[in-house]
Amino acid sequence: MAQAAHTLKSPKPAAHGVKRHTGLMDWITTVDHKKIAILYLWAGGLFFGIGGIEALLIRWQLIKPMNDFVDAQTFNELITMHGTTMIFLGVMPIIFALMNAVIPLQIGARDVAFPFLNALGFWTFLFGGLLLNLSWIMGGAPDAGWTSYTPLSGTAYSGTHGVDFYTIGLQIAGLGTLIGGINFLATIITMRAPGMSFMRMPMFAWTTFITSAIILFAFPAITVGLVLLTFDRILGANFFVPGGGGSPVLWQHIFWIFGHPEVYILILPAFGIISEVIPTFARKRLFGYSSMVFATILIAFLGFMVWAHHMFTTGLGPVANALFAVSTMLIAVPTGIKIFNWLFTLWGGSVRFATPNLFASGFIPTFTMGGVTGVMLASAPADFQFHDTYFVVAHFHYVIVGGLVMGLIAGLHYWWPKMFGRMLSETLGKWTFWTFITGFHLTFFVQHFLGLMGMQRRVFTYLPNQHFDTLNLVSTIGAGLMGIGTLIFLTNIIVTSKKPPDAGDDPWEDGRTLEWSIPSPPPEYNFKHTPHVRGLDAFWKEKTAGNKGMAPAEPIGSIHMPSATPLPFIMSVGIFIAGLGFMFSRDHFGSALVSFLFNNYIVTGLGLLITFGAMLMRSLYDDHGWHIEPEELEGR
Amino acid sequence: MAAEQHTRDHGVKRRHRQEGPQKHILIFVLSAVLTLIAFAAVAAGEVNAVFAVILLLVMAVIQVFVQMGYWMHLKDKGHMMPIIFILGGFLIAGTCIIMALYWVWWD
Repeated sequence: MAQAAHTLKSPKPAAHGVKRHTGLMDWITTVDHKKIAILYLWAGGLFFGIGGIEALLIRWQLIKPMNDFVDAQTFNELITMHGTTMIFLGVMPIIFALMNAVIPLQIGARDVAFPFLNALGFWTFLFGGLLLNLSWIMGGAPDAGWTSYTPLSGTAYSGTHGVDFYTIGLQIAGLGTLIGGINFLATIITMRAPGMSFMRMPMFAWTTFITSAIILFAFPAITVGLVLLTFDRILGANFFVPGGGGSPVLWQHIFWIFGHPEVYILILPAFGIISEVIPTFARKRLFGYSSMVFATILIAFLGFMVWAHHMFTTGLGPVANALFAVSTMLIAVPTGIKIFNWLFTLWGGSVRFATPNLFASGFIPTFTMGGVTGVMLASAPADFQFHDTYFVVAHFHYVIVGGLVMGLIAGLHYWWPKMFGRMLSETLGKWTFWTFITGFHLTFFVQHFLGLMGMQRRVFTYLPNQHFDTLNLVSTIGAGLMGIGTLIFLTNIIVTSKKPPDAGDDPWEDGRTLEWSIPSPPPEYNFKHTPHVRGLDAFWKEKTAGNKGMAPAEPIGSIHMPSATPLPFIMSVGIFIAGLGFMFSRDHFGSALVSFLFNNYIVTGLGLLITFGAMLMRSLYDDHGWHIEPEELEGR
Repeated sequence: MAAEQHTRDHGVKRRHRQEGPQKHILIFVLSAVLTLIAFAAVAAGEVNAVFAVILLLVMAVIQVFVQMGYWMHLKDKGHMMPIIFILGGFLIAGTCIIMALYWVWWD
């Protein structure tokens, strides 16, 4: 009775006549996870390209001793922006692109838990990234390294607005990441299809789940750190200023309490991708599924307990260094479990080396090499030698490029037909793989030796005849080859987009998980029926049982859809304006009016007004979404 | 069909509402009283400083349990995930804060 009465009270949802946007407006207002995935991919790809160009400029400067292609200041800006852009604006959005494109499909859901927040997360990331990159044309980019250590990043040593762009830009972009992480946690906990218990979830869904949990716990640390640094720089606080009673080491702790989990935020999704690609192309179920899950959780937990290994030379004392050395080496155990599980999955499988599997197979040895140097670096006494040399640079590029980026390219080739309905060219894909991996090892393998011979990282040039010359030349040639590999991938994308859609539901023919049971690209409601999951590798299980597709878990019914809305975009524009306004609030401009507007926080207030106004709109205007009726579903 | 979907959505909310407002008012008063005791202990100025600090800490712990259990519904069924995540958050944040503070200010 109470239920019926309640139904009468709720406003009748509009069944039809939902406003459909087209063109640019469609992209700005979309809350569809598949479209947001594509937005993340293009935006992430753009920043990845910018970061790549910065990398090539860095390598060009280092091609020979005493080069004067760029000066020291520009070089500092290049390395800072290369690191920051690649990690926060390049690979993380591409990770989110794949998560958005795949996770709801893999768990049999029709969208993420909070579609509105999903869009908000994308737009805040994009505007944060734009703000950070505006620094190039607005008085100089940040130049204190991607770690932005104090006191170098304080006003005493970084007087321009460079580091402000870093703190405010990352703050805004970080908001998007946090929103995205919470969204995927809620999605995976609450929206799995009937029958999909946690231990029946595909590995990529598991790693996304754990990655989101790490984001939830790690990002608040950098948020706080950036707020404190912003206060120090703009409002004259003393958190990191020793003269005022602050501590520069505090920044190092805060940064690495975030920064170390961050590297697991980066690599775990790649582990997930590899764990999807290898079983598909080995045509075997993943070896040791439950140990993979356990290893993922263990890596996430240990990832929070090792941050001080970035600070061995800071002077924490031998006891702390020993403890953190041991906890760091412990991480090699679950990671090793994963490596062996992948090898045992390939072992005895009927392996097909399609492009995704090529990248996955290239990933395993490359990532293992990065892991081995990681254990070397974990040894605190040895680290006193390695610290701040090219050995460290080689190590983290092996795990981030050889690990994460290879994993991402594998995942992009693998899920491209699902995202866009078109198969990428296998020929060009193989060219991409061979040029990229050859270039990669040329670039970074030699850097181990450069580091061991004493070449420091972050130096803008070096003297001749220290045995650095040839290896640096080789490294630069390798970087060029990686650039060519990336261009071939880009060509592949363009060529493929000109072709008519050719991908069937299960284009690799050996798809194991739910996303391959629906059309490519999926309709906006994903699943006509919510599928009924009967085991791990749900779709594969039905195929081996001789069934055509998934069994439905419910009759065809009306599907509730979220409404498109421009509010997330508007909110992000507001934050962007507020950020710029706050950054320049202490500046003196040529025009008295402009100075007045900035110095009295009027610009900041205007931006916040836009954001909070949009929030108010969202709260006051009750949007119940719309429905796709069964007749429309059958009409297709 | 659409109506059915909506009933289901509202059904979830209804479960919390069944507890009735009495309990919530009681908990709200309890939170307020806990806060008042803490304030009064300091404002009176006659309470021994050590005792006041201990009292404040005890009040704070009780307050945390009340807030978490009732307002965040951790005592309710089906809240295993929030409990796991909140405890995980405490564990990780606590470790980091204690160790970082130890090195920054006391070491």
